[in-house]
Amino acid sequence: MNPEPVQESKRGGLLGWMDQRYGVRGLFEFLSHKTVPVGPHSMIWYYLGGTTLFFFIVQILSGLLLLLYYQPGEDTSYETIRFITTKVPFGWLMRSVHCWSAHLMIISLIVHMFSTMMLKAYRPPRELTWVSGFVLFALALAFGFSGYLLPWNELAFFATVVGTESVKATPVLGHWLLEIMRGGTDVTIHTLYRFFALHVVALPMIVFAFIGLHLVVIQRQGMATPMRKAKRLGAMPFFPNFLLRDLILWLLCLVGLLSLAVFWPYGSGIPGLEWELGQKANPLMPAYPGIKPEWYFLWIYQLLKEFPPHFFGLEGPQAAILLVGFLLIIWALVPWLDRKARHDERSPAFSDLGISAIVFIAYLTLKAWDIGGGGHGSVLPDPGAVARVCAYWMLGLAGIIFGLRFFLYGHRWYWLSGAAMLQVVLHGVVGLSYINAGFIALGLLAAGVALSIMRGGSAARGSEVRP
Amino acid sequence: MREHQTNIALGIVFGFCALSSLFVPPVAAQDEIPAEVLELLDATGEDGAPVLSQDQRNFFDALPKHAKGLLADAVDLEFISNAEQVRLLLSVGLTAQEMELLLQDNCILCHTNPDYQDEATLFTTGPEAFGEHLDLQELVSDVHFRRGLSCSGCHGGTPDDEDMADEIYERWPDRDERAANRRWVPEFCGRCHSDPGFMRRFNPSLATDQVAKYATSRHGVRLLQEGDSLAAECTSCHGNHGIRRASSRKATTHPTNVPATCGRCHSDPEHMAGYKTRDGEPLPTNQLEQYRKSVHGIALLENDDLGAPACNDCHGNHAAMPPEVASVSQICRTCHAANGRLFDGSAHRQAFATNGWPECGKCHGKHDVVKLTDDMLRNEAGGMCYDCHAVYSTQNPECQATATYFHGTITHLAESRHELEEQVEVLAAKGLDVDGLTENLSSLEDALRSSRSRIHSFDRSDFDQAAQPGIETVHVAESIIAGAEREHRSRQRGLGIAIGFVGLVALALVLRLRMIESA
Repeated sequence: MNPEPVQESKRGGLLGWMDQRYGVRGLFEFLSHKTVPVGPHSMIWYYLGGTTLFFFIVQILSGLLLLLYYQPGEDTSYETIRFITTKVPFGWLMRSVHCWSAHLMIISLIVHMFSTMMLKAYRPPRELTWVSGFVLFALALAFGFSGYLLPWNELAFFATVVGTESVKATPVLGHWLLEIMRGGTDVTIHTLYRFFALHVVALPMIVFAFIGLHLVVIQRQGMATPMRKAKRLGAMPFFPNFLLRDLILWLLCLVGLLSLAVFWPYGSGIPGLEWELGQKANPLMPAYPGIKPEWYFLWIYQLLKEFPPHFFGLEGPQAAILLVGFLLIIWALVPWLDRKARHDERSPAFSDLGISAIVFIAYLTLKAWDIGGGGHGSVLPDPGAVARVCAYWMLGLAGIIFGLRFFLYGHRWYWLSGAAMLQVVLHGVVGLSYINAGFIALGLLAAGVALSIMRGGSAARGSEVRP
Repeated sequence: MREHQTNIALGIVFGFCALSSLFVPPVAAQDEIPAEVLELLDATGEDGAPVLSQDQRNFFDALPKHAKGLLADAVDLEFISNAEQVRLLLSVGLTAQEMELLLQDNCILCHTNPDYQDEATLFTTGPEAFGEHLDLQELVSDVHFRRGLSCSGCHGGTPDDEDMADEIYERWPDRDERAANRRWVPEFCGRCHSDPGFMRRFNPSLATDQVAKYATSRHGVRLLQEGDSLAAECTSCHGNHGIRRASSRKATTHPTNVPATCGRCHSDPEHMAGYKTRDGEPLPTNQLEQYRKSVHGIALLENDDLGAPACNDCHGNHAAMPPEVASVSQICRTCHAANGRLFDGSAHRQAFATNGWPECGKCHGKHDVVKLTDDMLRNEAGGMCYDCHAVYSTQNPECQATATYFHGTITHLAESRHELEEQVEVLAAKGLDVDGLTENLSSLEDALRSSRSRIHSFDRSDFDQAAQPGIETVHVAESIIAGAEREHRSRQRGLGIAIGFVGLVALALVLRLRMIESA
């Protein structure tokens, strides 16, 4: 059978040649007509996915360079990282860039996710964009967790011991999952082997697939428009206007990243955001107290600590993991839960859900840093003082956020974030336990919502009016 | 066929045995214990509570059959007749073997029975055991008891005696008489401890020359030749009914307890009144106080460093002697050998001998050896070299120069080490390679330690053998630091260039964007 005769294209050159064979012209047509909505709304949120992608590309490139020298192994992991940072030309820069970029990527990702949440950009037809983004967020955390162990230093080793330990709390599957993750009952060099495989082979492949999906759906559907304004907006060509802006921002990110990497090669000095190599891991040494995970895991770490050993027939950690799982599932299902936004109506409850998530996570994270506890050296911080000082910080933060929402954005629906703040105050200022404070806040929330629904659903209807 | 039948028969027999064993009650341990013993074990006090605690009862239940039998025998013979006595015997924490030893010793059984003894002769434990009572806990902790030697070993009679033998009264005169003249004690202990043949049966590695050595010691001379019963004898240091091996933490002769043991007499002005030094001065009583503050005292008593010397490590123990001027330095050299060798080759040795100064002690003191500082070498008032030379060797500029050189060099090395430590931290925080510096730091540490030791030769060239490598290390370290700082600057310069380049590209893009959008 003869191959189909190549159709003559009107254009010559490479593009013509490609078009004859693969029909790429359609793609270029599409790109040249693609626009980005422009209007009175702030466009800054449109760039955050791009910066996250930029930091991910940096991760791939710097990771590739580290991979030229890094060898996983009992006698090589730590040694090759030392060699990279001290002897390999610009090796120090590559490690520093890789670490800084990892953290910046996660910061950018989190801001991107919350902005999507607050702007309700997840509403139809973009449910799949939200879910693929959520999966990418989970994959980014998995990247962070698996990469942390690879230098095989003391801190990473014990943080991994503690981190994998919490997996054990997963109901039913816990022990099995723990052994799958660790490659045995303990964290050994075999754990490192599988973390390495995960970090440099499995995760990148999965992430490429999901980034591909995420980008394809975004390109097909275009940028989300602000709620109820779709008809009044102008348009900016995606190519080249928006793409050039994206590129300029990427270059600024590069400058920021390089400056951080050169001036603070071992991180910021804030616990959970530093990567001093320190001593080589010694599995026979006892873990020292105060081992903490990276900053983006701190809220889970702190939540595990807040639960009592036994909780309604469950073990404390099990209950905590179940709670975290439940909250994450709610988060992933927001596009379907937020039925008002589906119909392009105001949904103040879900704006408030985003804020209450920030309050909930911020307070736990502050507490995990032991701010105001007076602990140093062998003196352990005073948990009561930590809870109090962090609660004051939260009151200040909440004052700013709630003030902005009330006066600038005209928000009037505060049930969820109010309950979250009530828990902070009851725990930090009044002195109840974290769990009891949570129950009281939840109880009052339920009572309040029920009351307002009985009164005619004013709370549920809400009134989100821009001044 | 027959085999088959046999199997069935066997099966029936075994089955019957197994079944019957279910119905026969297990042989209760209680059943073997005579009623009188059970009565004592189950006795209750005035308040109605059992005399024996559950722990003591459990201890009894766990005793082997033989030990229980011995206890029953003692009850039968009425050596044990009191529940309080049973409580005491079961409460002193013995092994089963030691318990059997105790239950076969009629002296202890009779003397722990409040029915037979008055306050003065009853053995008990706890706070009330002090004073007139003898502490049973101490007695059973005694090394002699643990080796099977009990009361009769010293006091006479045999453990089987049912009454006090006459021999005991003959051997042991009244307490006042015994105290007035203690000369009998070394001889008494020596009956066994000076007999190698006898001692071999118990502790073959223990020396048997203690009494002979004691006779040559100051303590021994005073007691045995001059009849001074205030002088220490065996029991003054070892105690009597609670003697433990020196390796036991509780022993009065354990290194950490030795200073207090010696101090019991030597820190007591009343006890030491009238004793004089060789020069006719009253014997001081502040040695223990000085020792506690010294490097040796702090190491031994506060840091529990058993390598640090206690009193006996310099003065001897059984052959206790005050070291003389000539022997002080030999004693110090048992540990500080290298410094002693350096001093031997120095010009000071002759000068010290001429003046009759104790070599080490002249500068470092004896009981009050304090922590050294580099300032002791300072060539000005308050410095050790200076103060001595200002009196004894004024016209010697070379000595002055040497002291100044020592002080200057050591201070330089010490300061450099301090700076280097700080630099290592600063450079490491900047992410620079400090491996080379860390190596330098440890060789500088060695050079410093060695230089401080080598001043005991009081010779510049000898000192330089240790100090020069240190000075060179400092030079090398400085050049590494300079290199690291250059590297740091070049990193920042590189960053500047990169930012400039990226900035230009960004600027070009901004201009391009403007062009597009203004078109």
